[in-house]
Amino acid sequence: MKTLLFTIVAALTIHAGFSQVKPGETFVYAASYNMAGLMTQLAQVKMQTNTVATSKSSYLHLSCEAVTFSKWDSFFKIRDLYESYVNPLTLKPAMYKRDIFEGGYTKKEKYIFKNDGRTVNSTVQKKKKPETKKTFTIGSATQDVVSMLYKLRTVDFSRQKIGQATAFTIVFDEKEIPVVVKYMGTETVSAGNLGSKQCYKVSIAARTDALKGKDKNLIWLTADKAKVPALIKFSIPVGTGQLALKSATGI
Amino acid sequence: MKKVFIALAILFTILSVIFTVLPLGTLAIIPIIPALLFAFLGFRNAEGKPKQVSRVIMMIAGVLLLVVIGREIFVKDEIEVDKQFEQKKAASEKETAKELEELEGLE
Repeated sequence: MKTLLFTIVAALTIHAGFSQVKPGETFVYAASYNMAGLMTQLAQVKMQTNTVATSKSSYLHLSCEAVTFSKWDSFFKIRDLYESYVNPLTLKPAMYKRDIFEGGYTKKEKYIFKNDGRTVNSTVQKKKKPETKKTFTIGSATQDVVSMLYKLRTVDFSRQKIGQATAFTIVFDEKEIPVVVKYMGTETVSAGNLGSKQCYKVSIAARTDALKGKDKNLIWLTADKAKVPALIKFSIPVGTGQLALKSATGI
Repeated sequence: MKKVFIALAILFTILSVIFTVLPLGTLAIIPIIPALLFAFLGFRNAEGKPKQVSRVIMMIAGVLLLVVIGREIFVKDEIEVDKQFEQKKAASEKETAKELEELEGLE
């Protein structure tokens, strides 16, 4: 009985985790910002996955990078890199790294998720400030922001009712933040090289000053096995913007 | 009144030049339209030198409008190959693999 139960749980875990997120995926987005009612393209955002192996185990490396289009580089250069090294089956993070350069402002962050699943050793270095180290506890299901984005793709929205919520907890800026993902139905949106796709529309609400408005932070995930984020709309205190998928490969 | 129109046309033309030089895309159309409008109103009501000024402003605003539209149609948004950033990414991955190895050794 135990073996059967284990097999079912393992099968569900594999189905819920690995099947949607594979190494070798590359999603390229055009990030636009709303200026005076007109969407202006600012940067390219690339989400990539690859395998990183050590002598004992193998990790799925999830990376998100934002690079301003060359025309913007002289005015406000952005070179942001967010990375997460996760268990390929459960998407549980082992290490999270953030290295940002935004118009001269720099910040480096590293979180090491200890094996007990509840302790994080963080190292933070801001521009012209000394490096700070901290150890803090988190909930056993807490993810970093990158792995949470990928974990979202493992949610089975086809079984959800409109308005149904799924709870996540993320750790960002050394703080735990509850995140609620609400399923809002299906819509057809343009998904770059994938063409027009029927998508699951989900709303993201987080108890943070970084996001603003109710149901104004939205993600459209293709309503298929890959659940590729086709369109992301966000509302932040200084305006609104979007990330539109240009190409998706390796899915 | 014609002086006001010409003054406003000059003001919006200066803004149009700034917006066109900056990488603001179609946002530059916002000051170009009033620049054209005020220059046209100034042109219609003026005579002599002010009429000439209005004509020049209309021409500048028209050229700026063509530049903005042309850039939007023909110039693609591209990112520069940043070797330093690429090296940083590769180094980060290498360093992390080493750190993960060390952490596994401790556990």
